[in-house]
Amino acid sequence: MVDLKVEIAPGVILKNPVLTASGTFGYGREYAPYFDISKLGAIITKGLSLQPKTGNPGVRITETACGMLNAIGLENIGVERFLADELPILRKLKAVVIVNIFGNNQSDYAALAAKLDGIAGITALEINISCPNVKAGGIQFGTDPQAAAKLVAAVRKETSLPLITKLSPNVSDIVAVAKAVEEAGSDSLSLINTLLGMAIDLDQKRPILGNVTGGLSGPAIKPVALRMVYQVAQAVSIPVIGIGGIVSARDALEFLLAGATAIEVGTASFINPQTASKIVEGIENYLDDQGCDRITDFIGSLEKNPI
Amino acid sequence: MYLFNTEIVCNQKLSPNIFRLRLKATKDFCREAAPGKFVMLGTDDSLFDPLLRRPFGICRWGEDWFEVVIKIVGKGSCQLSRLESGGAVAIHGPLGNGYPKDQLESVQKPLFLVAGGMGIASIASHIFSALDSKQSLAGTFLFYGAASYSELILRNELTAATAIGLHIHTITDDGSCGRQGLVTQLLATELQNQPQGRVFACGPEPMLKSVQNVLQKVGSEGYISLENRMACGFGVCLGCVQTVLSEDSKSGVETAKVCTQGPVFPAQEVVF
Ligand SMILES: Cc1cc2nc3c(=O)[nH]c(=O)nc-3n(C[C@H](O)[C@H](O)[C@H](O)COP(=O)(O)OP(=O)(O)OC[C@H]3O[C@@H](n4cnc5c(N)ncnc54)[C@H](O)[C@@H]3O)c2cc1C
Ligand SMILES: Cc1cc2nc3c(=O)[nH]c(=O)nc-3n(C[C@H](O)[C@H](O)[C@H](O)COP(=O)(O)O)c2cc1C
Ligand code: FES
Repeated sequence: MVDLKVEIAPGVILKNPVLTASGTFGYGREYAPYFDISKLGAIITKGLSLQPKTGNPGVRITETACGMLNAIGLENIGVERFLADELPILRKLKAVVIVNIFGNNQSDYAALAAKLDGIAGITALEINISCPNVKAGGIQFGTDPQAAAKLVAAVRKETSLPLITKLSPNVSDIVAVAKAVEEAGSDSLSLINTLLGMAIDLDQKRPILGNVTGGLSGPAIKPVALRMVYQVAQAVSIPVIGIGGIVSARDALEFLLAGATAIEVGTASFINPQTASKIVEGIENYLDDQGCDRITDFIGSLEKNPI
Repeated sequence: MYLFNTEIVCNQKLSPNIFRLRLKATKDFCREAAPGKFVMLGTDDSLFDPLLRRPFGICRWGEDWFEVVIKIVGKGSCQLSRLESGGAVAIHGPLGNGYPKDQLESVQKPLFLVAGGMGIASIASHIFSALDSKQSLAGTFLFYGAASYSELILRNELTAATAIGLHIHTITDDGSCGRQGLVTQLLATELQNQPQGRVFACGPEPMLKSVQNVLQKVGSEGYISLENRMACGFGVCLGCVQTVLSEDSKSGVETAKVCTQGPVFPAQEVVF
């Protein structure tokens, strides 16, 4: 049987490369009735801020061709309630927990990192510098390599937890941002967050989303995500985690070929809550059929010559 | 709640754009079904267009089947409405809280059921449940409004429930059947006579707002079932939230997930 273990940051070895994308897996326990969430590589929580946040008013989701737009606005229960009410449940469920964080400014991020440092049951932090739905939600950091690097360095100072920086695709040169945050001390990178989009109700002549614009996710964005993961994986020497439109084991394996060490399942978990666990099984079966002994042999093994 | 793939038993056209689908279901699923609960319904998951499953009320059920009534409003409902006997569907459900059972079944006070348009699919679930389990509906009034005669659906099945005591009043926007006007006008008149009545309503948001107003004026209690847009249906996307009153929060309001904390809420708690 193929060895699925991957190292997503120095010293952080996961039992398999399947993680869940922030904002699509609740706080984790909501999925426990559907499968054993400890079987996943790790679960990544909904983005947490220092204070609870109520999110955006109006319509928050709308479907588009092979995808969906969301403008949730980072609604979350805040870090205190997460630590008091949710983390203990996740520990009981034996889930490997990565906490996704965001703030209004650099000191919010630093304070969150300090608060979560040394807390038992947290394996790593994912820093969201890429939410397109709120002005303060990281995007001002995620689109500028220097600002991104400064933020990561500030967070780095406050915690010994491994840091994964989550990158925005809404930039002209994602490689420049990736290199800057690697330099600043990020242990790995995850990409992509949603692509900024919009939907219009023709007959009413009005934008559909309460926030007017929203983040596009789902199969529609997979080619963009794959291209960015491919480019970034070649340019940096830290692990890259691929995200964007993954709905099947075959999708996940394509990201691994392109150089991703692990992947995150997002929107697909809304359609069928068991998707992530099915992807673990599917990856295992595929690699067993290929006679592959270690998934690490498969990662980045894309042939140079196009078909 | 359960996840399973199943097939269509039959599909019946109820109006030019409204269809009733009967689906095979597991016995476990049917045991959990209750008035006001819903399912997330999808077709072939490998096509991704439509991508997400769509929420529909469980309108009627038996030992190993259930029915949904679907009005075509867009891509998802259109595709589902075209399925024929044997067609494949994916189910996630029963989901949601449903109507509070003790309130529905208490025989002390009159029960006013208010349905606007497709809200009948949810409201009728209580009527059919009573009919199929041979309970009485004495003291139960149905106020049912639709745009026009052709959109007043399930008429024969609902009329069958008059035999167990149901009183039916219909009203249409254009006067093509029953009185002309809005269903909340019927409710307002009847509640003034019997303010102790409990109200259960499902329909478009403007109707539910108006039900809220009527209840407030008369000082009666009631429940409304919301149909916010949903991506997941089980509490993880935060796409469906509704502002509700809250004693715990400083601002006096908080957001509630319609899919898991609803879709049925005490009428006075919802902030539109
Ligand atoms: C708990 C619940 C129970 C429901 N029960 C029923 C039912 O029994 N029968 C029935 O016909 N419909 C029901 N609905 C509404 C139904 O889910 C939507 O009509 C359907 O999802 C639209 O999908 P679509 O792909 O056809 O439309 P889309 O292409 O997604 O949208 C087309 C149009 O439909 C409107 N729309 C989209 N989602 C909703 C929604 N959730 N509610 C109202 N309008 C919407 C949009 O404004 C848009 O203009 C229910 C909704 C909920 C939340
Ligand atoms: C409803 C919704 C909420 C999201 N919330 C967050 C969030 O809080 N923090 C974050 O970093 N990313 C968030 N994302 C982005 C996802 O984690 C992921 O990067 C994106 O959806 C692309 O992956 P997918 O195509 O597999 O969904 C959210 C996405 C969706 C659809
Ligand atoms: S529909 Fe996703 S949280 Fe309610």
